[in-house]
Amino acid sequence: MKSRKVWMSLISLGLLMMSGCQAKTTAQQDSYSTLQARGKVVVGIDDTFAPMGFRDENNELTGYDIDMAQAVSEKLGLTFEFQTIDWSMKETELNAGNIDLIWNGYSITETRKQQVAFSEPYLENRQLIITLADSAIMTKDDLAGQSVAVQKESSALEAVMAEAELAAKLKNGAPEEFDTNIDCFMDLEAGRSQAIVVDEVLARYVMKQRGLDKYKVLDDNFGTEQYAVGMRKSDATLLSKINEAMQACVEDGTQAALNAKWFGE
Amino acid sequence: MIRQILPSLLAGAGVTLQVFALTLLLSLPLACLLQAFQQFSGRLLKPLFRGYITLMRGTPLLLQLMFIFFGMPYLGLTFSREASILIAFTLNYTAYFIEILRGALGAVDPGQAEAGKMLGFSRRTIYFRIQLPQALRNAMPAIGNEVLNLVKDTSLIYVLGASELLKAGRSAVNTYATALPFVVVGLLYLAMCGGFSWILSRIEKRISYY
Repeated sequence: MKSRKVWMSLISLGLLMMSGCQAKTTAQQDSYSTLQARGKVVVGIDDTFAPMGFRDENNELTGYDIDMAQAVSEKLGLTFEFQTIDWSMKETELNAGNIDLIWNGYSITETRKQQVAFSEPYLENRQLIITLADSAIMTKDDLAGQSVAVQKESSALEAVMAEAELAAKLKNGAPEEFDTNIDCFMDLEAGRSQAIVVDEVLARYVMKQRGLDKYKVLDDNFGTEQYAVGMRKSDATLLSKINEAMQACVEDGTQAALNAKWFGE
Repeated sequence: MIRQILPSLLAGAGVTLQVFALTLLLSLPLACLLQAFQQFSGRLLKPLFRGYITLMRGTPLLLQLMFIFFGMPYLGLTFSREASILIAFTLNYTAYFIEILRGALGAVDPGQAEAGKMLGFSRRTIYFRIQLPQALRNAMPAIGNEVLNLVKDTSLIYVLGASELLKAGRSAVNTYATALPFVVVGLLYLAMCGGFSWILSRIEKRISYY
């Protein structure tokens, strides 16, 4: 009897502590002065997203977003430190204060807008529909009854689900979800998926590596979206500073040079 | 191609080995100590031990990692990535080792402890000098299983953004758009586990002195 009492009080104490601490995170403040004092901003990136952020043969971080972030950091006079994160935990990492920016081909979506503040967009990206070169699928409507692969928790998934009628007509009533976009490509080549929906930026990079003639890109797509930098909603100062610096990168031609370097546009 | 991907994979294997070695060095001695406490503890502490072991064995290690890194700050305790990984792995593996030891200690002839008592040894001496060495020897195959599991469980730390071997492999697969890195990753895990099983079998032979 006695030990049961002890346990009950321990459990209720635990619950009390948890409920008491929930409030703490909502009362966040603008952290710009803290960041300045610390002298560095922690940028959360996923190093499995070529060509935006990935590792070269020396295991060094590289990519369009890494270069872009570095250019912005010079304009801000703040050091950026890159922290690899698991992509599915990005908003949690941000709001827990482990990272200050999400900068890795981060598309603006309605759902994400409720959780994070977005900078001005810096890159446009389409959700392409890709099939094998000899596929009979020609339009979006041909996807009915077919197995379609997307990366889980990606904006591609959101874009497909946004067209609910079409999504319901897919095989199994929804797209197949994979860990990474490369998994989607491999599933397509294995013949299990008949089509995949992926970010154009990544898809062009992958197709160039694996052989452009293997694939067919449909004229239809799942809409255009924009890449932007994500940060905590409380960080209004950081947001305006980043926007200024990115605008400066456009004006002095830094971004045009990056576009040419990574996309050959 | 292999030459291009190998540096990042080896760096990943380094992280994997680090987590493996630190966890093993912390959890096995800790389990020996805690098992002693459990054996000698009164009625009040026992449910605490059982609760801890139930919690550790009853929830996924991945969830424990996330709870310690993302959840504990809500309770006022903030750990670094590295610390969170070590705490979660050590707590989890200690629980399994305690259970293995409990079983192995039960298999040690009670006559051993009685003889020790007759000779006037303290409870501590009996546990550490007489019971534990015999129990560890009996437990070697089970401990070996856990050691190899630990090598592979380290792949879970990707969730805290750590670039261990499997994550490095995924990264390379993405960069070069081919699945070849996964084959290399598999071979590296196999080599590590092969090496550890060889060491374990040597230890087992060495301590089976009668």
